[in-house]
Amino acid sequence: KRKFEPGTQRFELHKKAQASLNAGLDLKLAVQLPAGEELNDWVAVHVVDFFNRVNLIYGTISDGCTERSCPIMSGGPKYEYRWQDENKFRRPTALSAPRYMDLLMDWIEVQINNEDVFPTNVGTPFPKNFLQVVKKILSRLFRVFVHVYIHHFDRIAQLGSEAHVNTCYKHFYYFVTEFGLIDTKELEPLVSMERRGCPDPV
Amino acid sequence: MAMTGSTPCSSMSSHTKERVTMTKVTLENFYSNLIAQHEEREMRQKKLEKVMEEEGLKDEEKRLRRSAHARKETEFLRLKRTRLGLEDFESLKVIGRGAFGEVRLVQKKDTGHVYAMKILRKADMLEKEQVGHIRAERDILVEADSLWVVKMFYSFQDKLNLYLIMEFLPGGDMMTLLMKKDTLTEEETQFYIAETVLAIDSIHQLGFIHRDIKPDNLLLDSKGHVKLSDFGLCTGLKKAHRTEFYRNLNHSLPSDFTFQNMNSKRKAETWKRNRRQLAFSTVGTPDYIAPEVFMQTGYNKLCDWWSLGVIMYEMLIGYPPFCSETPQETYKKVMNWKETLTFPPEVPISEKAKDLILRYQRTFPLERPAAISIEIKSIDDTSNFDEFPESDILKPTVATSNHPDTDYKNKDWVFINYTYKRFEGLTARGAIPSYMKAAK
Ligand SMILES: Nc1ncnc2c1ncn2[C@@H]1O[C@H](COP(=O)(O)OP(=O)(O)OP(=O)(O)O)[C@@H](O)[C@H]1O
Repeated sequence: KRKFEPGTQRFELHKKAQASLNAGLDLKLAVQLPAGEELNDWVAVHVVDFFNRVNLIYGTISDGCTERSCPIMSGGPKYEYRWQDENKFRRPTALSAPRYMDLLMDWIEVQINNEDVFPTNVGTPFPKNFLQVVKKILSRLFRVFVHVYIHHFDRIAQLGSEAHVNTCYKHFYYFVTEFGLIDTKELEPLVSMERRGCPDPV
Repeated sequence: MAMTGSTPCSSMSSHTKERVTMTKVTLENFYSNLIAQHEEREMRQKKLEKVMEEEGLKDEEKRLRRSAHARKETEFLRLKRTRLGLEDFESLKVIGRGAFGEVRLVQKKDTGHVYAMKILRKADMLEKEQVGHIRAERDILVEADSLWVVKMFYSFQDKLNLYLIMEFLPGGDMMTLLMKKDTLTEEETQFYIAETVLAIDSIHQLGFIHRDIKPDNLLLDSKGHVKLSDFGLCTGLKKAHRTEFYRNLNHSLPSDFTFQNMNSKRKAETWKRNRRQLAFSTVGTPDYIAPEVFMQTGYNKLCDWWSLGVIMYEMLIGYPPFCSETPQETYKKVMNWKETLTFPPEVPISEKAKDLILRYQRTFPLERPAAISIEIKSIDDTSNFDEFPESDILKPTVATSNHPDTDYKNKDWVFINYTYKRFEGLTARGAIPSYMKAAK
């Protein structure tokens, strides 16, 4: 885990960000479904919010994540992520990270803007396969975290946004584990990530 | 193993730097809002429990209420995902115009609720560097859950504009009222000043200084009570606040003698005739601004009380004390207030009123009848407002989705954290349960 020398400006900034991000909220508690409420609606709001935040985070490092730097979308040497969708890539296809991210973000955006999947009218029920779709979205979003942590953490540190990314990641992690929305197999790269500054959420 | 070499900060484009800063701020705001929302949710739950206790409900009834409440909360979750847009509102009428856009009476199509919609053109704000001020207004409107402050329910944006959906105050504004009346009586004045004192004090307690208290920003609700709007918004940097604006002016403006020599009746007439024009101009009027706000030496809460004194004068005399033919002259008079603040002998007012320092009992004046009663025939009655010609609502030229990310891709992420929804507004279908209403 990266440390800053106390007394330096970086350290002060770091501390400040930490404080504003950690102030007074137990994220583990915050993700729990409040009594009497609809799970799907609770999950849907979170998915949309996570998408927006992960997208923003990736945006901050995207100019360092190029065809050249990341010709293959991966999470360290052991994990290679392939893209698959209903359109051009019917079979899992190895793509560069920026290309993968583009497709991924666009795909998620289509999902969450689809009234049949994420209904916004009060009273319209969620589709039966809603949680399945959500699992897919979240697993794919998780890969963005993995890629950012393993390949671009230097950049995150340089930008002084570790606290931001960490908080977001922790929140995400608590959320998916609370509702069992990502297979443990997908979460594996986490082990190597922890060594790279990603907080141990457990 | 990290595959990428890191680029040093210095090579980062300013665009990237801005984007990074914005992302950080957005994330910080997200998490501080998360805390706030978490607490608000708990508050609502507690309030419900308390009300049920007070009403002495039986267990069975309590259970039903709780599940109805949970349903409302779920509804709120769902509505948080709805992307409100212009198409969700029917525009009924233009009811006000400001320097940066207009205010319309609108009706939300699905619920039929009536609101005031303030429309602000992004381009103007970027150009005039007003973004910070917009945020300030949004923040205070969101934060101040006070009955002295105009409530904001939603905000959203499209390519061209920002939209603030606020409660509609059918009583109109103080400027219009003052234009219609010659002067107010001492009793009426006392009422409005007392309420405005409480209103100003309430925002001071939130740590805000308004700096631009003027009759245009004092709105009247359906019962004739005062609420504050327009928080140092665009006005905060209107030219009227800038000393340079006056410094660079040609000082030998000869025109003022005519005005100086008018009797107070003519002065009041002239003032009222030109008043509306002043309100629309981007220059604004310096009439209500405290001298210390013009000077670069700093100011504090007291500047709001200064403005209130000016308003009180205007209410009783018929025009504000420093009014002149030109803003330049007004500015000079404000700076010279020790000489220029005089009371015309032909409009006698009490010594007490002259003191301008009035003390009020901190009673709850809203239960008392208002000084001037407001007449409203229907929920969308705008007879208390001036007539405004219909205008084309400032429509985006390209069809776009309202998705925040689209905006971000379109590089107007300066406005990214702008969208806001209030629990109360969103779930207000039909009657709002009493425990969700602001304490009245
Ligand atoms: N919530 C509201 N209900 C009813 N009328 C309103 C409301 N908000 C504003 N108005 C009307 O619209 C007028 C202009 O509003 P406002 O002062 O907020 O505009 P503005 O753009 O801030 O103007 P400026 O920046 O020049 O002060 C007000 O004077 C008032 O008549």
